[in-house]
Amino acid sequence: MNTIAKRMAAALIGVSTMALVPAGPAFAETVLRLDEVAVGELDPAKASDYADSILMFNVYDTLVLPVQGAPGLAPHLAKSWSADGNKHTFVLRDDVKFQSGNPLTADDVVFSLQRMQALGAGLSYLFANVESVEAVDEHTVSFVLKEAYAPFVSSMLRLPIVDKQLVMENLGEGEGDMGDWGQAYLSANGAGSGAYKVTAHNPQQETVMAKNADYFLGVPGAAPDTARLRYGLEPATVRTLIAQGEHDISSQWLPPEVLKALSKDGAQLLTESGTGGFYVKMNTTKAPLDDVECRLALTNAFDYGSAIKMIAVTDDVSQGSPATGAIPVGMLGANPPMDALKRDMDAAKKHLDACRYEADDINIEISWIAEVPLEERFALLMQANFAELGIKSEIKKMPWALFAEQVSKPENTPHISQLFVNAVTGDPDTLLYGMYNSKLAGTWQSPEYLKDADVDDLLEQGRDNTDLAARETAYKALNDRLMAIAPTIYGFDRQSVFAASDRVKVPALSDPSKAFGLDGMGFSFRLMEMQDGK
Amino acid sequence: MSPVVQLLAKRLSISVIVLIGVSMLIFAIARIIPGDPARIALGPNATAEQVVQLRDKLHLDDSIIVQYAYFVSDFARGDLGISLYTNRPVMTDIAQFLPATLELVFVAGLFMIGFGIPLGILSARHRGKAVDNVIRVLSLLGVSAPSFVWAVILMLLFAFFLPIFPIAGQISDTLTVPPRMTGFLLFDCLLAGDLRAFADAAHHIVLPAFALSLSGIGQAARLTRANMIETYDKPYIEMARSYGFPEQRIARRYAFRPSLIPSLTIIGLDFAAMLGNAFLVEAVYAWPGLSRYGVQVILRKDLNAIVGTVLVISATFLVVNIIVDLLIAFINPRIRYAERSRP
Repeated sequence: MNTIAKRMAAALIGVSTMALVPAGPAFAETVLRLDEVAVGELDPAKASDYADSILMFNVYDTLVLPVQGAPGLAPHLAKSWSADGNKHTFVLRDDVKFQSGNPLTADDVVFSLQRMQALGAGLSYLFANVESVEAVDEHTVSFVLKEAYAPFVSSMLRLPIVDKQLVMENLGEGEGDMGDWGQAYLSANGAGSGAYKVTAHNPQQETVMAKNADYFLGVPGAAPDTARLRYGLEPATVRTLIAQGEHDISSQWLPPEVLKALSKDGAQLLTESGTGGFYVKMNTTKAPLDDVECRLALTNAFDYGSAIKMIAVTDDVSQGSPATGAIPVGMLGANPPMDALKRDMDAAKKHLDACRYEADDINIEISWIAEVPLEERFALLMQANFAELGIKSEIKKMPWALFAEQVSKPENTPHISQLFVNAVTGDPDTLLYGMYNSKLAGTWQSPEYLKDADVDDLLEQGRDNTDLAARETAYKALNDRLMAIAPTIYGFDRQSVFAASDRVKVPALSDPSKAFGLDGMGFSFRLMEMQDGK
Repeated sequence: MSPVVQLLAKRLSISVIVLIGVSMLIFAIARIIPGDPARIALGPNATAEQVVQLRDKLHLDDSIIVQYAYFVSDFARGDLGISLYTNRPVMTDIAQFLPATLELVFVAGLFMIGFGIPLGILSARHRGKAVDNVIRVLSLLGVSAPSFVWAVILMLLFAFFLPIFPIAGQISDTLTVPPRMTGFLLFDCLLAGDLRAFADAAHHIVLPAFALSLSGIGQAARLTRANMIETYDKPYIEMARSYGFPEQRIARRYAFRPSLIPSLTIIGLDFAAMLGNAFLVEAVYAWPGLSRYGVQVILRKDLNAIVGTVLVISATFLVVNIIVDLLIAFINPRIRYAERSRP
């Protein structure tokens, strides 16, 4: 062997020896590693899905927070709030600073809302009803609405407050004085006051966040020092990573079999519920589903018990709980858990007899979204259930993109569509209005094309009444009405299940008295506890 | 002008025409995929007005010819538009993700050549013996099982049951990533003088690169074996043997070199094809590369990113092919002379 070859061999041996030595941290710090399927959108004005919510609730703050373990809202950036007709006024805390060191003032709230309206993305539709917003003084801000909207304060859960000064210093190119409204900057950087700061963001890989030592509420020592939100991991990879102690919390999108296997290997199962449901939507404009009796026949024939078994992860944990109606248990206006829906074949046959269409002539198209394999199982369940009534059906797989396009016309919308729908603010208005208001028919949420004056009226009552008891009465009546006219089969109340290692405790996802009832908020890292020595 | 330069000029001009054709084709195909890109990008909660605004911004309601004209005019300024998937310029995304894939494919290519060709030679030299049979079975397994199957199997074997390799990513979380200079992590580690990070990154790349290369190793071994066996039957090999040349010299000098030419063409194609096939391996090993990005943008009908990614992969494919052509011309004088003698 010549000298060069010997040197190269020595270098390779050296390097390979180093590779086998575990790369340890330079100092002891706790790292939380979790994952989501979709890339997290850092810009809070564009945030809409689960990964975005995790980022938003950790990097930014909102004026209010959901009360843990109970309905209602608690002060957060806002100390107090009041309503006078269509005017809502919030008084802000005066001790909050952004991560940049800039003080958080009413101007920032005004800017955040205006930015959201200007970009018109994400959940900005929640603020389309805001006519004007004004900083009354440094720590008071008021919103004037175009028309009454009782759950407006809960909308504030989706208005993250952005550091105006920092964004203005980083405006990119665009039309008008505001350029790009800081979109380029905020898609890669944080500008919030939240408990965690963004330290790195690679949309293909992960977002890394570190504890904000100056957080206005303080961050407990047990909370993770660093959180790494990874994107797009395959279920097989997540399973291996958790089993090897290299990952802490999985996404909710793991197949039940993988969750079950992880649980068997000792992983804890975390849950989040009360925010939405699995809805089997019937196109009420197409024969035979334009006849309420036919729809009632199908709702009674659906095997709710088998549906729950199909999504069970373990004997104790399931990806859903029995539905009691249109509103998930725990939400305003919901029926109690003991009113769980049950299959009733006798009632189904009676309704079918009363239907103006003959069972032999019926052929129903049952669609399922290609990206959600679980729905295929439900399509097969329905096919079997309806066959017992003598109703024929065809199963059709549809990619989401095609589905979203086809539902814009009732004649292209399948007889049956399966969807998971959530209340984005935790209020039933954001769950039901989009689904059942006759003016909004023909969106992905409303393939029923329901046109019912009573439903419209009750939906408006839920929006107009500022009195909580009156709202509850309206939603209970709405729930009853929706059960009576059956535009939808209420499959089950959704429960998100996450597998987690024993290195982390997440009270908001394991203790019902600490749960937030809002998607993604349970992932507030500051409320998590990393376990020493694990 | 030398024949090699002529060859290069010819190949480059053809490549430009091919790229223009690919851009037109992919531009049209991307718009046929079902679904409204604006609706998909804005998410299920977006209102109809928001969707209309974005469609207008993206010129989606204009004719496809007008849209292509916008694309060409932006491309001429080096702008491939904004990705609706990452909300960043497509150029930024490609610049960030391409090096990770190239690095992975390059290492897989080294494995393919480093294992595939020697295995093929070994197999040919021991034709019909146990070594030959074992190599043929292994090669067949490598070719017939898709790379994602190997990715999962290797992960289970060498990262789970026998945890000697890392499971995912390019570098351990506990290490500081060196400053980005070339985008190629292994190079950046060396340029930063961080041997520990280099060793860790090298450790991370072994399993995904090996999983990606297994099909190519099998292909290269089978092809090299077949070509060498064919060459071994040639009269000049018989003559070399009759002169009493050592078997190793015959294999290296007289059998291997002519056999390399068809193998090299296939290896070149395999190397380029790995760019496209890498997405499954990248998905399993959470490798932040361009192939995985390409699949994500196709699923989300992110038009700008689809066109940008396909163009880059096509360009890389063409470059690899040109390199292979030049290598073959270098190895085989007959090809050089044929090029020169053509009118």
